[in-house]
Amino acid sequence: MNRIVIGRYIPGNSFLYRMDPRTKLIAMILLMVGVFLIQSFLHMFVALALVTLILVFGRLSVKRVYLGLRPLVFLLMFTFLFQVLFNRQGELLYSLALHYTILNLSLAFMVVLLWGFTKRFIRFRLLYFLGAVVGIFALLHSISFGVVLGEGTFAVYEQGLSTAFFIMVRLIIIITLSTILTITTKPTDLNLGLESILRPLRVLRINAEEIAMIIAISLRYIPTLLEEANKIMLAQASRGVDFQEGKLKDKVIQVVSLLVPMFIISFQRSDDLANAMEARSFVPGQERTRLHILCWSKLDTVALACTSLALAGVVLLRVVGW
Amino acid sequence: MAIKFERVSFQYRGVDDKGYLALADINLSIAAQGEFITLIGETGSGKSTLAQHMNALLAPTEGRVHIFGVKLTSDKKKNRKQRLNPIRQRVGLVFQFPEYQLFEETVLKDIIFGPKNFGVPHEEALERAKKMIQIVGLDESYLERSPFNLSGGEKKRVSIAGILAMEPEILILDEPTSGLDPMGRNALLKVFYDIHEKLGKTVMIITHDMDTVYEYAKRVLVLREGALVYDGEPPGLFSRKHVEDWNLELPEILRIQRALEERFGIRLEKNPTSRKELIEALGEVVM
Repeated sequence: MNRIVIGRYIPGNSFLYRMDPRTKLIAMILLMVGVFLIQSFLHMFVALALVTLILVFGRLSVKRVYLGLRPLVFLLMFTFLFQVLFNRQGELLYSLALHYTILNLSLAFMVVLLWGFTKRFIRFRLLYFLGAVVGIFALLHSISFGVVLGEGTFAVYEQGLSTAFFIMVRLIIIITLSTILTITTKPTDLNLGLESILRPLRVLRINAEEIAMIIAISLRYIPTLLEEANKIMLAQASRGVDFQEGKLKDKVIQVVSLLVPMFIISFQRSDDLANAMEARSFVPGQERTRLHILCWSKLDTVALACTSLALAGVVLLRVVGW
Repeated sequence: MAIKFERVSFQYRGVDDKGYLALADINLSIAAQGEFITLIGETGSGKSTLAQHMNALLAPTEGRVHIFGVKLTSDKKKNRKQRLNPIRQRVGLVFQFPEYQLFEETVLKDIIFGPKNFGVPHEEALERAKKMIQIVGLDESYLERSPFNLSGGEKKRVSIAGILAMEPEILILDEPTSGLDPMGRNALLKVFYDIHEKLGKTVMIITHDMDTVYEYAKRVLVLREGALVYDGEPPGLFSRKHVEDWNLELPEILRIQRALEERFGIRLEKNPTSRKELIEALGEVVM
């Protein structure tokens, strides 16, 4: 659980930490929109370089952000492969004839099994996975004797490759930007910023303060609930619930024995919290004074100006059609 | 020895890889029969962590724990290869807060949940439930009630009955009497003492109540900041030096005895540990 980097605040000291959460939120949104408007490879690389620059000047470790991306590697790979395999527009770049025979399909199946069994002993799992995929394609291509069940081609088209590239880089940039935001902003500050940005929605009768309060409370209770869940698991393990093994029927009982106390404790907690808030004279919708007041500095103006300029530039490029 | 700790340390993994040392270099052994132990220490001194090592819920990060022939070390793979579940039947652990374990629709189902997990036949589990609900001081009508509509003290008793019904060889209770009224507290302590006296089982109670320690325990363990600083008989614990160093509260009976000595110069022949014994001892002096 400690490995999850997304959504985690890591204390530090750089201009990113000194910025107002409102600035960071707005700047992030502007940059994200910009990234979606970019259409050429060159500009995309520039954008990637800029994000890396933010990381370097913000004194954030690139490794930390990479660790944050890691859980999403499979998603990224999947979208990439999907695009490459099924987008058949543009010029044909590469094609490989595939033969599906009983022999090579069963061999491919065995490769999958072998990969499944041995992957836990391999250090570079991603490379190993890629190796296995390439191996399967090689098998399907080169072995053609035996009963042939069908023929196919593995083809890569220009459009497919470029779309895949754009989607992947966009996703990487977006995730990196949001990771930067959460690493450098305390959840409470983030919430305060969000509330302040959403305040104009009052015109639409949406109460930003309430939404912000809900978000703040849920964030606050995630670690508490995890701790409670752990305690419940220990208490049930003491009564012979073996959370590591068991048949399907046992699994159901295990989950029930965990979830029921979990629900009850959550309800109790929220009841207690409601009472505690009321005891401190909390009234929903009432105007309140604050302990922390967000203040706008020169840095924020500069940051917002820079990101707006970047977005304007991208829009201009798009309109001019470079 | 049923449970043996050899140079055991335990570190909780924290944020930023900085661990929190909950147990430091603990050596300890507990017999399978005939012990009545109390474990005391300030909050955060590692009492609950120690208890969770005793039925293999936690494994040490350093050193070795032996529980009924099963050896636990910091090697997670090796620990996992052994069957830990049977240990949890032999060493019953009652957690401090009953809310963490009650989940069935009726008290009866909740009490038989543990025994049935350990393969006790349904009929026998029912028998045990009927017996245990009475032992913890509730009557059989409670068996059909929902555990969630009970008061805090009643929930506590039901959770204790659930562990007792597993018929463990060693019984460990984490603050079993917190949240109970004095009458209920004494009655429950009597139950644990009876389990120890009549069935010869080892019972360990984690407590903050020095009167319990003084009256019942034959052996007392004191944890301070994760280290075991005292392992011996209760009278030795309440020497002036220890009381000052460890910030202990004196048991009621001992306070009275010392006041009698200081104010009236009354010396009692032997140290009484309960009210009854104090009255008897005083009677002898007066006569």
